[in-house]
Amino acid sequence: MSFLLTLENSAFGAWVRESSSLWAYPTILFLHTIGLGFLVGLNAAIDLRILGVARKLPLAPMEEFYTIMWTAFWINALSGTALLIADATTKFTNPVFYIKMSFVTLAVINMVLLRRFVFRRPPIDGDRIAGFGRALAITSLIFWGGAITAGRLMAYFGPVSGAPGLSNRIPTR
Amino acid sequence: MIQVFSTWLHHTTLSWAVAGGVPWIWPLCETLHFMGLALLVGIVGVLDLRMLGVAKALPLGPLQRLMPWAILGFTINLVTGFLFFAGDPTQYLHNVAFAWKLIFIGLAGVNVILFYVTGLYRRVDNVAAGHDVPPAAKLVAAVSLVLWIGVMYWGRMLPFIGNAF
Repeated sequence: MSFLLTLENSAFGAWVRESSSLWAYPTILFLHTIGLGFLVGLNAAIDLRILGVARKLPLAPMEEFYTIMWTAFWINALSGTALLIADATTKFTNPVFYIKMSFVTLAVINMVLLRRFVFRRPPIDGDRIAGFGRALAITSLIFWGGAITAGRLMAYFGPVSGAPGLSNRIPTR
Repeated sequence: MIQVFSTWLHHTTLSWAVAGGVPWIWPLCETLHFMGLALLVGIVGVLDLRMLGVAKALPLGPLQRLMPWAILGFTINLVTGFLFFAGDPTQYLHNVAFAWKLIFIGLAGVNVILFYVTGLYRRVDNVAAGHDVPPAAKLVAAVSLVLWIGVMYWGRMLPFIGNAF
């Protein structure tokens, strides 16, 4: 716990959390959202194609999107680390955070497997993708959905975190 | 008029339920809002990027068949977004970030409408693998990317530039 406190009270952690600058917490959170949109969104587009949407679309060229997905992944790994340092004592002690990290890990492994198994032997245009590839597309959507859900629920379960004065709790009347 | 509507809305049972009356509705809507975001930005992003020259081996016609899923994402976000507004209209009405978010969504809508009514959509639909879309379509794609990223920006700034939670 003292290590978490040191982390949280480090110059960087305090700046992220307490600076009134829009470049601190707000911008880092915005970057985390862009990363989410492109990483999960592009992966979902690939998943949908595998599951039979836009079947006339050749799958092989979609492999190029992996460059963008990995860029988005690293944007989120870095922005996520910054947000984690800023709220180390509350996030590291929140069980929902570990659920989120588990889903993210599974989703990223899934993404790598998808590339290895579906893109290495890309189907002919219009072909139905069956078996393992199809299963991977389904688990990909489930894992990303789980990661988004757990990420959002971190604001509602466990210790309060976030910028001072920021209330992300369920509103009351 | 917006003020009258918002006051009326704020006194509905729906508003009460969303804003904590039924505690799980707000977090559920937020979760769905992020899933809708990913679907919308991901699918629209794939199309825009292809038009700008990424993954050029994708033929545009079949690629546009993914669009209904982007529309699904947009619809999810329209519904959940309306529920947030219903839950606490005042925190959005007097919020600069919210005004900008609506303006950016409106501009993105105009951009899409122009894409269809100018016939660009049909020209793009016939662009085969390996070919470039017309320059006007590239402009539409670039504008679309900027506007949707802008929508995410203003949405994220709701509590920081504005006063929403």
